Amino acid sequence: MGSGESIAASATAKLEARHVRKEFGTGEDRVLAIEDIDFVVQENEFCVIVGPSGCGKSTFLYLVAGFEKPTAGEILLSGRQIEGPGPDRGFVFQEFALYPWKTVLGNVSFGLEIQGMDKKEARRRAEEYVKIIGLSGFENAYPHTLSGGMKQRVGIARALAYDPEILLMDEPFGSLDAQTKKLMQTELLRVWAKTRKTVLYVTHSVVEATYLADRVVVLTARPSRVKGIVEVDLPRPRSYTDDEYLGAREKILGLLDEEVVRAFERETSQAQRTDEGPAT
Amino acid sequence: MPSKTPSLRVREAVVFALPLASLIVIWQLVASLDLIRILPFPADVGRTLVNLCRPTRGGTPILLAHLGASLFRVGIGFSLAMAVGVPVGLLMGINKHVNDLLHPVLSLLMPVPTLAWVPMLLILWGLGDRTIVAAIFLGGFFSIAYNTAGGVRGIDRDLIRAAYTMGASKWTLFSRVLLPGSMVSVLTGLRLAVGYSWRALVGAEMLAAAGWGLGYLVFAARAFSAANVMFAGLIVIMVAGYLMERYLVGPLEKRTVQRWGVVRA
Repeated sequence: MGSGESIAASATAKLEARHVRKEFGTGEDRVLAIEDIDFVVQENEFCVIVGPSGCGKSTFLYLVAGFEKPTAGEILLSGRQIEGPGPDRGFVFQEFALYPWKTVLGNVSFGLEIQGMDKKEARRRAEEYVKIIGLSGFENAYPHTLSGGMKQRVGIARALAYDPEILLMDEPFGSLDAQTKKLMQTELLRVWAKTRKTVLYVTHSVVEATYLADRVVVLTARPSRVKGIVEVDLPRPRSYTDDEYLGAREKILGLLDEEVVRAFERETSQAQRTDEGPAT
Repeated sequence: MPSKTPSLRVREAVVFALPLASLIVIWQLVASLDLIRILPFPADVGRTLVNLCRPTRGGTPILLAHLGASLFRVGIGFSLAMAVGVPVGLLMGINKHVNDLLHPVLSLLMPVPTLAWVPMLLILWGLGDRTIVAAIFLGGFFSIAYNTAGGVRGIDRDLIRAAYTMGASKWTLFSRVLLPGSMVSVLTGLRLAVGYSWRALVGAEMLAAAGWGLGYLVFAARAFSAANVMFAGLIVIMVAGYLMERYLVGPLEKRTVQRWGVVRA
């Protein structure tokens, strides 16, 4: 992707990753997790990142969230460089990360209260989002009484309630059973259609990516680069058996398969090298 | 919370009373068989307890005066341990530098038996409340500080990240995430500290009390070989410690971590 293209695209760009690089550790223990990630997420777009496991896709999302800082390159949200975590982004965690001492409503209104909204108003707003996400009647329940799917509904409502510019989702349905996962994907699309929030979504599942995304960014094995970007220009709700759906899925799988093999080969050759003796 | 049915209450009472009753039966048996020379009969200890509860010429029953002195000391010593131990533990949990600084010191001081401090305290402050309260403080402080620090460090990182993402300041993070998040461990620390406080109290009173206190009562009874009084004193200590744990830490736990489902009720 040339720089001219990304400037042209920045008219409606919500998020821009510019030659992002991330290393962990120093000296001998240094690990290059991300070599060079460069792409743009458009406003209102549902963008999904897929990649082989351990490729650094979650690391990239953490960089966007501001939990970690890139070693080189920059990430811009609405043209402003990301310096740390902040309420212009909403984050949905794989393990929900709900506050066990707060009720559903308390969790959802927490962000609003932190940001100084009047308690009554925060409550009203939270109730609205609890309703949108389909949890009416559970306002005063504590998280431990909820199922995994319901917990993640709270997680999504909490992230949406304070109206961030972008929703970051880190394998949000990864710990749910297959049935619940399917239901939650549909629910997410329903809510997304309602709010039209820009979404950056990380998953290892190509099926899920193809079902959800406007665009799928495929990452290489570690150290990650952008392997390719696949547009999924299909109407929603999508059918898993539709030819066009399957075509898009194959395209993504094709890109990914190479990387999965490459990641595997790299791992095994590294193992062989360490078997042969100490590296010099 | 569902209200308890009468039959459940009876069950609970039985479960609570049965082991105690068995203990008293065994005690009676051991005393009857004269297996331990000085062991008094339960009934005699009971009578002594009643006698000690009778008002004396001064007005206050002797036992209540001893109990009052002890409760006063435990109250102050435990409160101090909590007031210092919880913040120190929180600081250690939050700040790595504070932890690096304090951890070795506390690790060295913790294994010292509380009573080993008492001779030094005696030189410093002599017999009396100050020395005993200081011993209670030392008895409770470590478990509170350690457990609190561990609790803060054990908080799920995602809970902290979520708060920062929502725009939390350091103070908000502290008061609304770290504090409630470490509650289970804080309560464990407090619960242990209640026990340690009473142990420290009784030991310190034996060494440093001037005239009053349950520990003093038990120790002084030795001079008259009054095993009845010793046992009466021990029973009061047990009951007081139990009640303190149950009616101080218990309700706190019910209102916080049990309601949140962090621990099983």
